[in-house]
Amino acid sequence: MLVSKFNLMRATVSFVAVGMLILLGIVGLSYWMLDRTGQSTEELIATRDMRSRLVDLLSVVQDAETGQRGFLLTGEDRYLTPYTVAVRATDEKFDALRRALARQPDSEQFLSDLKSALDDKLGELSQTVELRNGGKIDEAMALVRSDRGKDLMDRIRSLIGGRREMVEARLNRAVIAQRDNALILQRSIIAGGILILLAGAGAAWTLTRYTRELVHARSELEVLNFGLEERVKERTADLERANEEVQRFAYIVSHDLRAPLVNVMGFTTELKASLEPLQEIVNDPVVQELPRIAEAKAAVETDIPEALSFIKTSTKKMDGLINAILKLSREGRRVLNPERVDLEALFAGIEGSVQHQLQESDGSLVVETALPTIVGDKLSLEQVFGNLIDNALKYQAADRPPVVKIRVRPQSDSMVMIEVEDNGRGIAEQDHTRVFDLFRRAGKQDKPGEGIGLAHVQALVRRMGGQITLASELGKGTTFRVRIPRNLRFVLERLGEFRG
Amino acid sequence: MSLEGKPVAIVMIEDDEGHARLIERNIRRAGVNNELIPFTNGSSALEYLLGADGSGEVSAGRQLLVLLDLNLPDMTGISILEKIKNNRHVKRSPVIVLTTTDDAREIQRCYDLGANVYITKPVDYDNFANAIRQLGLFFAVMQVPETQ
Repeated sequence: MLVSKFNLMRATVSFVAVGMLILLGIVGLSYWMLDRTGQSTEELIATRDMRSRLVDLLSVVQDAETGQRGFLLTGEDRYLTPYTVAVRATDEKFDALRRALARQPDSEQFLSDLKSALDDKLGELSQTVELRNGGKIDEAMALVRSDRGKDLMDRIRSLIGGRREMVEARLNRAVIAQRDNALILQRSIIAGGILILLAGAGAAWTLTRYTRELVHARSELEVLNFGLEERVKERTADLERANEEVQRFAYIVSHDLRAPLVNVMGFTTELKASLEPLQEIVNDPVVQELPRIAEAKAAVETDIPEALSFIKTSTKKMDGLINAILKLSREGRRVLNPERVDLEALFAGIEGSVQHQLQESDGSLVVETALPTIVGDKLSLEQVFGNLIDNALKYQAADRPPVVKIRVRPQSDSMVMIEVEDNGRGIAEQDHTRVFDLFRRAGKQDKPGEGIGLAHVQALVRRMGGQITLASELGKGTTFRVRIPRNLRFVLERLGEFRG
Repeated sequence: MSLEGKPVAIVMIEDDEGHARLIERNIRRAGVNNELIPFTNGSSALEYLLGADGSGEVSAGRQLLVLLDLNLPDMTGISILEKIKNNRHVKRSPVIVLTTTDDAREIQRCYDLGANVYITKPVDYDNFANAIRQLGLFFAVMQVPETQ
């Protein structure tokens, strides 16, 4: 079954649409994924920041403690410097941590815990430093030994360590999420690519199938076409043969009909001649007394001459018909001679030959359009149009002068149509085909003729590869349309091909 | 139409006896009184002209004029014409083709084969009678060679 045009369009469009949708999906997904990756990267940075803040703070506190220890041991101011620097930095570091943790949910509690631990620690540190500064080494050492500072430090360590673990876990999660994102993106791009390829393949497949079907259908058509051409050739050749046979038949028959006619006519004349002495004898006074002389007289003087004259007119008529058949069959056998024929000149010639009839009836012949030059058989064309124009003038209407119009109607490149229109008596509808039959005439039989004109015209037109039709209304006029090839040579070549 | 002492015989090959009769009458009317030998088919005419053996020797010494119709029941007049013109004994005998056919090709062929005159039988009897009578007049002044 063939893919219909509509189905093909639907299939192709849907494949393309699916491909586009997939592409859009991939673009959307990529955008979303990029957004997500951006977010997680920010979070990653923030988390890293938190971690480093935590470490910084711890290290500052440791620095402060280290400085305190050194000062407690040595009492030298140069050990005090790291302590003071670290203590000063502690607030700054804490604020930094606070900022880093600002948007963290449970950070308030942690920060306040850490703050108090830090404050306690810093308080303990400054207390011992001040004691040492005041020379109270023992008190300071006792305070250190009380382990309060160590406990505070441990608390700070555990707070920061706990927080660091949380942060590390978050960091791991963010890294894993990012990796997952990348993986999802990669996979979806691959899957989308495959789907697009499939859609493309589907469209390509449909198109290929359709194209293959087209090619197949075309080759089938070619085969059919070729077969058709062959059949037309065969038929035309058959017709040609049949036509030739009919013509040969007509020719032979008409000759064979002529031979007996010669006898009929000959012996009729002989009979008439033989009658003369008889006519003299019946009027001789010697035989007037014979019985049945009156009958003999009537026979010799009226009956026999009358019979002979009927025989004579009948044979004359028959001779005319036989001559007509002979003429037709001879025309059919005449070899057509294609040459350039200027139709303007042709019609001018015909007008010249009917000049006498035109003048007699006050008629006119009008060529309405420019007439082309074609390649045709001049003699046949002259006979065709001569006959048509002759008929138009012959069968003119009684109440108006005849006007015959000639015009060309545009046809295809290869054919030309010439119309011969008259305002004559017209042909009744039932006679439209009959007028083309041999020996058949239509309408009032007031003009001499044998009924061969139009049969002859039709035979000629057909021989030239054309057609003749008529349109007519009784009492108004008739239009004959002669459709003939522009180039008779092509027609003959084609026929030659058929015969070959 | 005669040579010293030896009368010319007219051989008429015509299948239509009516035509034969009309031709004979009109020739006689023209004053031709020569012997007229009618044949209604080709084979009997050929037998007379060329003999049973077909050699033509039978015609040696005869003076013949052939009136030939082309449409014959048993063979065409063309083949009779061919045989006459190809026989060394009778080839010089004048052959007048008298037939209904006025086909140009047929006429050409007959002259090509050596026909001496070709006449189409007019259908109209007055013309027919006239043509035959003129032919008869023509016979009167014609010289016919003796066959060898």
